[in-house]
Amino acid sequence: MSLTPANDIVGKNNGRGLTGLLLVAIPVFLVGWMIIWPIISAIGRTIWLPNEGGGRSFSLETYGFFFTDQYSLNNLGVTLWTTGVCAVLLVLICLPIALYLRFAKGRLAAYVQGLAIFPMFVPSIILSYAIIRVLGPNGTVDLLLNAMHLPKIRSPYLTPWGPVIGLVWDNIPLTVLILLSGLGNVSNQSIEAARDVGAGRLAVLWHIILPRISNSILVAVSFTVLGIFSAFTLPYVLGPAAPEMMGPFMQRTFRDLNDPTNAITQAVIAFCFCIVFGLFYVRSVAKNRSA
Amino acid sequence: MARVLIERRIDWYGIFFAALLTLVIVFPLIVVGTWAFTNVWRFPSVIPQEFGIKYWQMTLARADVWSSITLSLSLSTVVTLLSALICLPAAYAFARLDFPGRNILFFSFLAGHAFPKFGLLVAIAGIFLQLNLIGTFWGVVLIQLVGTLLFMIWIPVAAFQAVDRRMEEAARDVGASPMRVFWSITLPQAGPTIAAAILLSFVGTFYETEGAWLIGAPQIRTLPVLMISFINNQPVIQFGAVLSVLLWVPSFIALLFARRVISSGSFARGFGA
Repeated sequence: MSLTPANDIVGKNNGRGLTGLLLVAIPVFLVGWMIIWPIISAIGRTIWLPNEGGGRSFSLETYGFFFTDQYSLNNLGVTLWTTGVCAVLLVLICLPIALYLRFAKGRLAAYVQGLAIFPMFVPSIILSYAIIRVLGPNGTVDLLLNAMHLPKIRSPYLTPWGPVIGLVWDNIPLTVLILLSGLGNVSNQSIEAARDVGAGRLAVLWHIILPRISNSILVAVSFTVLGIFSAFTLPYVLGPAAPEMMGPFMQRTFRDLNDPTNAITQAVIAFCFCIVFGLFYVRSVAKNRSA
Repeated sequence: MARVLIERRIDWYGIFFAALLTLVIVFPLIVVGTWAFTNVWRFPSVIPQEFGIKYWQMTLARADVWSSITLSLSLSTVVTLLSALICLPAAYAFARLDFPGRNILFFSFLAGHAFPKFGLLVAIAGIFLQLNLIGTFWGVVLIQLVGTLLFMIWIPVAAFQAVDRRMEEAARDVGASPMRVFWSITLPQAGPTIAAAILLSFVGTFYETEGAWLIGAPQIRTLPVLMISFINNQPVIQFGAVLSVLLWVPSFIALLFARRVISSGSFARGFGA
């Protein structure tokens, strides 16, 4: 993604600067009002709390509560665990698929690629329903096991593994696409050269391919972390009631407990945990642009 | 010799991945599809005892299903139209005009993707609370509109930049007016990609669950929000299955039209790969 350098496209017409700004004004205003301002306001509202005098004064009380409350800490813990497990599983599952797609040709490869991208066209709410029907109690897997006179599975539905399965499924397409796009930068010549001097498959993977796509792997992981850390629908429907992930936790604090200040505190804490991944993501998009 | 060569070229990895992905990705959806056309399916039987469309009639007779369908369609239409109205001129400006801060403003649309989404929604909801937008149609419109900005600007910018400038200049040289050039040269070339972006934002808005749930529920009940309550509270399995099949229709249409845009590298590059 890149913008053509301005000097290629600009006429010498000075009035165009204003026209351009006017044309982009509304979307830019929306970004400022609905993204930048809520973040600043969220931080402001959670460190300047109302005091007895009717004004506001500096206080870290809500943050202190979050980090001393065992229930909040358990929710944070299960969120970190889910995010980590999903990120590792996604790389382990999607890297082999992407490697296969990079070097394979033909109809079978096209079929595999089509299937790997397909979850993008399945909204997560349908996915949740499908997982309950297949892996839930008396679901299809239980039916098949029962028909073969085997014991039923311990269903992952309503355990922390439920959201993990759903989130991995949901994130396969983007991870594969990002890794595949990174593998596009690995030239066939470099691999053939390594093969010619006798490198085996693993050596080629380790010394030639992985160093070249490490950036893509990091982008894929950042994207996954940003998406999964505050995922809502899948953990809400498939996960246990307690501990719950940050997404359902924030929603429940905001709507059911009617406690926006603590919900926003949880949101700011989520921002802090993800800031590194967010900055890395923006930086690599920007770097990609200049390339 | 020839036989040995052919045998060595059996694509075992391909067969393995194809079988695995079929099992993991297609199978669960087939199960849902089967449930939607099932009248009776009790536990020990591997296949339903009775197929039929009894539950389609019952689902479509429910008032809450109809009101959700109309609401979801009108929300998605309003959001997509507004988004096209404000984003397409902006995309043209980013692609063709120079103005102060052009690069910074262009990348500012990434901001929404650099934060965990639900956290951002909660922060926005905090502001909507003061503006009394919680539980209103326009509150949900606003939150979903913001979700479409990145795609509706970045994909059309790429489309406008891909238009062959020499053709536009040639048309100008033989005397075509700027508007004529735009309608006859620029738009036909950029059109298919822009149409795909509009389709993607319609479908994306149709399935948007988290903003609608946090900002709109319980007053604004879109189809995905209704689906959540079916999963949580509805003992009749088939209602959810029928609704899933209905819900999936827009996705199927998007699948038919948008595949080309998505398989091309520019889509993944939009995510920073």
